[in-house]
Amino acid sequence: MKTLDLLDVSLNGRPVATAAPTLRALLEQQGYDLAAAMACAINRQFVPRPQWPQRALQPGDQIDVITPITGG
Amino acid sequence: MNPLTYSKWTVAGVELGSRLLLGTALYPSLQVLGDAVHASGTEVLTVGLRRLQPEQGGGNSFWQRISAMGKHILPNTAGCHSAQEAITLAHMAREIFNTPWIKLEVVGDDYSLQPDPFGTVEAATVLARDGFQVFAYTTDDLVVALRLRDAGCAAIMPWAAPIGTGRGPVNPSALASLRQRLPDVVLVVDAGLGKPSHAAQVMELGFDAVLLNTAVAQAGDPVRMAHGFGLAVRAGRAAFEAVPIAERASAQASTPTVGTPFWHGA
Repeated sequence: MKTLDLLDVSLNGRPVATAAPTLRALLEQQGYDLAAAMACAINRQFVPRPQWPQRALQPGDQIDVITPITGG
Repeated sequence: MNPLTYSKWTVAGVELGSRLLLGTALYPSLQVLGDAVHASGTEVLTVGLRRLQPEQGGGNSFWQRISAMGKHILPNTAGCHSAQEAITLAHMAREIFNTPWIKLEVVGDDYSLQPDPFGTVEAATVLARDGFQVFAYTTDDLVVALRLRDAGCAAIMPWAAPIGTGRGPVNPSALASLRQRLPDVVLVVDAGLGKPSHAAQVMELGFDAVLLNTAVAQAGDPVRMAHGFGLAVRAGRAAFEAVPIAERASAQASTPTVGTPFWHGA
């Protein structure tokens, strides 16, 4: 059951209810390896890695986490 | 100059020996990709960016393999449909790869994957101002190329044909015009090549380099095809530097006619 302090956000297009207050906390909670080759954006705006710990999450935030893949 | 020495070129402040840029997608395996990269002689590899799910873990075997090759990395913005998406993805790429290089792609039509000239110019302008070295994927339209030059792109990369079609240059005269009108801009033919002869053809026009992926990756033998393209690019460049003869309407004997036997004038 959802509690009042859970935030509804979208993570890579999937709905997530989280208690994480920051982007970094969300990534850790979701099981990301923070040392991985990856970058983040919130609401289509780039969030540099040094800002992850400070970047507070807001209801409805759309978060993208990307990594290198093959490409032409 | 030793004719066996091929002229180097410079793009975005980096001197390169190979004039072939290679994509990393669609190979049968990472091993074949690695062997093809080696066989091609390329020094620049393009890569893409897609969402990472946490269950995939932190290890990225593709990226580890590519990174270990020690090539210059040219990340792309493939799949972006607006300038804003491409700008954001470029910033994300710069952080991941620690490079200002970006292959700017803004799709304008999903069927042909034709680039959106308006979004491309808009994004190129912003990114160049933000310190990126922009390699702009575009059509063979001259005016768009002029605008991309004015935006400060490091390289302008017209298509030969739509991505993955393998048709070769569908409008060689437009490509020739680009070269003639933009003599001081780095021009790379990107997309639509199918065979090494296509690469040689555009290199003979004076293009600085070619970028391809599918023609190698989906060939029956990608490694051998990578080698073939490497040779063709060098052949085409050598021909351009050597200045081909002008075409003639009628035949002209190459063997001297003086002293032709059996001619007795009667």
